[in-house]
Amino acid sequence: MASLRDFDRRWIFLIMAVIVVGLNVTGGGGRLPVSEYVHNYYDTIEALPEGSIVMLSADFDPASAAELLPAYTATIHHLFTKKLNIVNVATWPAAPPYTVSEFGRIAPQYGAEYGESWVALGFLPGDDVAMGNIGQSLASAYPKDDVDETPYGDLPLLERVGDNMDGIDLLITMSAGYPGILEWIAQVGGRYEVPILAATTAVQTPDLFAFYPSQCAGFLGAATGATQYLQLVDEATGGAVEKERLVNQKRMAVQSGAHLFIILLIIVGNLIYFIGRRGA
Amino acid sequence: MFLALQEAVTEAPFFTLDTSQPGDVLGAWLVCFLTLAVFSFLYKDNPFYKFAEHLFVGLGTAWFTMKYYEEGIVQPIHEYITSARAAGAAGEVFELGGYPLDTAWAIGFRVVAGIFALFLLSRLIAPNGWAPRWPLAIMVGVYAALKMTGETQSKLVLLLANAVAPVTDPNKLAWGELTQNPGWRIENWDMFFSFSMGIFFVGLICALLHFVFTFKRTRVLAGVSKVGVVTLMITFGSMFGFTVLGRIALLIERIDSLDGYTDPAYSLAGDSGGFLTMAFSPPILLGAVIALTLGVGALRGRGGDSA
Repeated sequence: MASLRDFDRRWIFLIMAVIVVGLNVTGGGGRLPVSEYVHNYYDTIEALPEGSIVMLSADFDPASAAELLPAYTATIHHLFTKKLNIVNVATWPAAPPYTVSEFGRIAPQYGAEYGESWVALGFLPGDDVAMGNIGQSLASAYPKDDVDETPYGDLPLLERVGDNMDGIDLLITMSAGYPGILEWIAQVGGRYEVPILAATTAVQTPDLFAFYPSQCAGFLGAATGATQYLQLVDEATGGAVEKERLVNQKRMAVQSGAHLFIILLIIVGNLIYFIGRRGA
Repeated sequence: MFLALQEAVTEAPFFTLDTSQPGDVLGAWLVCFLTLAVFSFLYKDNPFYKFAEHLFVGLGTAWFTMKYYEEGIVQPIHEYITSARAAGAAGEVFELGGYPLDTAWAIGFRVVAGIFALFLLSRLIAPNGWAPRWPLAIMVGVYAALKMTGETQSKLVLLLANAVAPVTDPNKLAWGELTQNPGWRIENWDMFFSFSMGIFFVGLICALLHFVFTFKRTRVLAGVSKVGVVTLMITFGSMFGFTVLGRIALLIERIDSLDGYTDPAYSLAGDSGGFLTMAFSPPILLGAVIALTLGVGALRGRGGDSA
């Protein structure tokens, strides 16, 4: 028993690596059942009439991209498929490069013109205060865009938005933590009555259940939620995100294997603890 | 070991900054080296990990400094004042926070804000001086007001309203309807919804009563408090589960990413043959070099600090 208690934890890391690599190489995932939260996220976007304006806030960084980038990609595809317009903002300084790469890749597939169908306004420092500024006066918060420093009033889409949240029909945040969905709800959701959707990291997901559905109409919880959403978007777009869907479905299968291993470790750890305590 | 789901990269440029293109060769080797260098910490602290850590901190600091300088200094001070002066000269209306304002006042407010920001830095010269207290007082006051209004509404009033929700849901199915529905799921069952709401209500009351210290802990209150503790433990367990979910998702993404770089386009041996191509691909070759170096270091007894 003493040898088990002093077991070198690096063996556990190695076994976990073998499980993840092994399943990643050999595994292929199936279709996941879609949860109510994900359905509501999808349905809220589906319900918007063509030409509506959606504010998409990239509130994440490379550390959380593994969980949020699939949701971000799928959401952009979904919005463009529905012919909705996107105003992209960011409250995390490391987020804008993702905007550049994802919109640069996806927008041409739908013939979405910059300035007409989407704009990228970039990073705004100030956390909650920045969100309050965006809600109060988008033009004051962002006098110029982030792509080629075009003045706010010279972009046709922003002319349609006007100066505040009245011109925005839906707010979606890719939320990795602070500032994120909880701050958008507090600073914008309650004040301007804009419906809010979110994709969240796993760590932040439990906080959001209390706000659903009254303050957050739907959400994609962690990579699991993103995978479920990718399934729906893939069907709606006729396979536009097939590659991402397959990759994420396979990752979910790997995740299940890793989780089973962790559950086994918890059970074994508890057994060692209780047997050891009885012996003492 | 090729991942069938990932697109095979037939040709990869040696170096490109175009992020919409498949990854370049130099980037692939860097990504693999840094990922494996960070993972090597799981064995023990070592120079590869230290290098990756210092590089990450340095690059991160540089990026953040650049973004905050651009968006927090250049744009709100220099560009703002320039455009305010231009608007003033052209006789146009200038806005501050959505309100039209005379340009002189707009510039004045921004200059005062800049001076207050400098006051904050005066702490470096006179740590106990009066100057930093003024901007701090303004910041605390504004922030408190901002948080109080929005957060009271969203995290107190509306959450309380949610907590007294009805225990039945007309959108859910009754027992008879549920069993007749092919592919039924228990969460669509009205009785399950009512049961969940009941558990939620009891858990909420008991958890709140656990934090009531006004009254003496009678047996009844102690019992209720125990149920509250169990509720809290279940909540923390759920949070732990989600945290594990997130961390494992990050690990899987990294492994998947390394797997993608076993593509012949990134291999030093090119598409010459199965084993050689694989052996000289970035993750395998770099993994072997790092493992070998750490192994030799461990054998010589100078592989760095112990884990």
